[in-house]
Amino acid sequence: MTTHAQFCQQLRERLLADKDKVLLRVAVAPHFEEPLEFTGRTILERAEKLASSLALPRDRAVVLVLLPHSPELFLLQLGLVLQDHIPAILAWPTNRVDPEKYQRNLVHQLSQLPADQLLTLPRLAENLAASLPYPTIGVSIGNVSTFEKLFPAGSVSEGLEQGQFPHRDSPPSPDALFLQFSGGTTGAQKAIVVTAAMLSEQLQQLGEVLQFTEDDSVVSWLPLYHDMGLIACYWMPLWHGASSTQIAANDWIINPELLLKYISRYRATFCWLPNFSFSYLAQRRELMKQTYRLENMRAWIDCSEPVRLKSITEFADAFADWGVRKESLQASYAMAETVFAVTQSKLGDELRTVPRNRVNRGNHAYADLAFDLIDDVYVSSGKPVANTEVKIIASDGSTSLETVAGEIYVRTPSLFSGYWGAEGFQTHSLQNGWHATGDYGFLANGELFVIGRFKDIVIVGGNNIFPEDVEAVVNTIPGVYPGRVVAFGVEDKDYGTQSLAVVAEMKDDFSEEAAAVLEAAIRTLVLTAIGTAPRHVAVVPPRWIVKSTAGKISRRETRARFLREKITVL
Amino acid sequence: MMPDHNAIRSAARKAASAVARRPVKDSQRLVTSGLIDSLSVLKLISLLETTLNISIPPETLQPEDFDDIDLIVETIERVAKPAP
Repeated sequence: MTTHAQFCQQLRERLLADKDKVLLRVAVAPHFEEPLEFTGRTILERAEKLASSLALPRDRAVVLVLLPHSPELFLLQLGLVLQDHIPAILAWPTNRVDPEKYQRNLVHQLSQLPADQLLTLPRLAENLAASLPYPTIGVSIGNVSTFEKLFPAGSVSEGLEQGQFPHRDSPPSPDALFLQFSGGTTGAQKAIVVTAAMLSEQLQQLGEVLQFTEDDSVVSWLPLYHDMGLIACYWMPLWHGASSTQIAANDWIINPELLLKYISRYRATFCWLPNFSFSYLAQRRELMKQTYRLENMRAWIDCSEPVRLKSITEFADAFADWGVRKESLQASYAMAETVFAVTQSKLGDELRTVPRNRVNRGNHAYADLAFDLIDDVYVSSGKPVANTEVKIIASDGSTSLETVAGEIYVRTPSLFSGYWGAEGFQTHSLQNGWHATGDYGFLANGELFVIGRFKDIVIVGGNNIFPEDVEAVVNTIPGVYPGRVVAFGVEDKDYGTQSLAVVAEMKDDFSEEAAAVLEAAIRTLVLTAIGTAPRHVAVVPPRWIVKSTAGKISRRETRARFLREKITVL
Repeated sequence: MMPDHNAIRSAARKAASAVARRPVKDSQRLVTSGLIDSLSVLKLISLLETTLNISIPPETLQPEDFDDIDLIVETIERVAKPAP
């Protein structure tokens, strides 16, 4: 089993083996023509120098990193690991948040995490310093003023009591490399502890199944706080001596052509994308200004959202004349809990599909768990990577047969052993080494097909949003009936993803005017606290939200009523 | 040929109202108020391009450049070109 020290030694050796090769390019607005380039040697030197300059208070410090897309963010992730600290990357907010509300909310969230240090931009570090239970350090980046203008100078005082702060007694694990949040808001969710053994196992197995070599090249717009961005698009090429080119998510969303531009320019071979990206790129094809050469691509891997045939077919058709081959469209089932990939489809083969009517849904109680099908087929996510097992468990606990649906269970050496959260390190209980994923699917010919989720997580553009987080935030708004808020996902069939919807009951007498005021407050606060704007907000009179027969609020039934009565999906 | 100011403003009002699924006032914030999400901004841009037969080059643009009707009009007049 790889130890922390062994992993870091190997990482140094690998970076020095490619000391003169460009391994990392970071595209920073507005200089898209000239991404900043880093060779193996410069990555190693600058990463270690940056991390060692921070004078962290203790060995094995848990360091929260809140920085926008920048070379420093990529280098700090490596540098902190190499300097024997434990980084955890937090999502940088969009430019749309209300700065005061965002900072106050951030203090509440971060105060729930036992950590030793927060690294962020200098002004934000100053603003937060008085309120957090641990020190903040300002890290300047190249285009710092662009981002700092979002936060006017001014100390945030939240007046949290010392007793509310969790204690940081011991490191998450002796071999912890970094922490990875699996979704949701920082405070409410727990971080997965990724160890040296877990990461090296994942990088080796994924490398083998993809036959990934130093000649490969990755282009990514996925942020580093996302497992696909961090593991597949950053650690994976770095570990194997291949190059990666990194684009900020905000820049890509507004200018999707950037991705194809860099793929063409750097003759990239791999690109991991959430499902909606395939539809989005296809729909933007006619508006693209230049022609790109994409025939070098070995795999476009659809991951982190249910794979929809419509999305990948649109993409293949739209870009066939630029060299996209149908057999280069691939899929993977991945999760932060296993570091990344559980399954991977076979390169060179077209993705397999199974018609919906050939699948036994296993239990009628599961029937409404499936995502709304755009197509009448399920698409394969491939076979388990080496050393990884997948099984399907029916509601009675028995193992399901082929094409009979149930809960997806996973067993792999890269499986996490626990979470890091307010209570410190908490061991995650497994059943004989198996992890119940909360996802719903079936196996056919050894390949995994994901149907939907048991949990009500909303996946917006590949980002996991926990309805409970949204509901908790909306519940704090005066005028909302406490406890009478429901959040859920609504299919966006244009882009093959979900949008966020919120239904909130009004506390006082209902009026259209008062509802409009509350709706605006809900939109602003959810955008600020969660980072995603709800597409649908319905403020409704008391007793509108549907309860189950047991008297509990039913998200599913409320969603069904909302879809029936309230909206027309654009 | 680029559409004139009034045509752009009229198209911006229609597109913003369609994406927000409600009538939108000229001064009403769309993006920073959370009224429309990121993907809806993309739908808004596509609608504007189709309706006005223009191309909006995305370089240096951010969702906030489409935050209200006035900004949409200003952004289009600043960066858009007739569709090829």
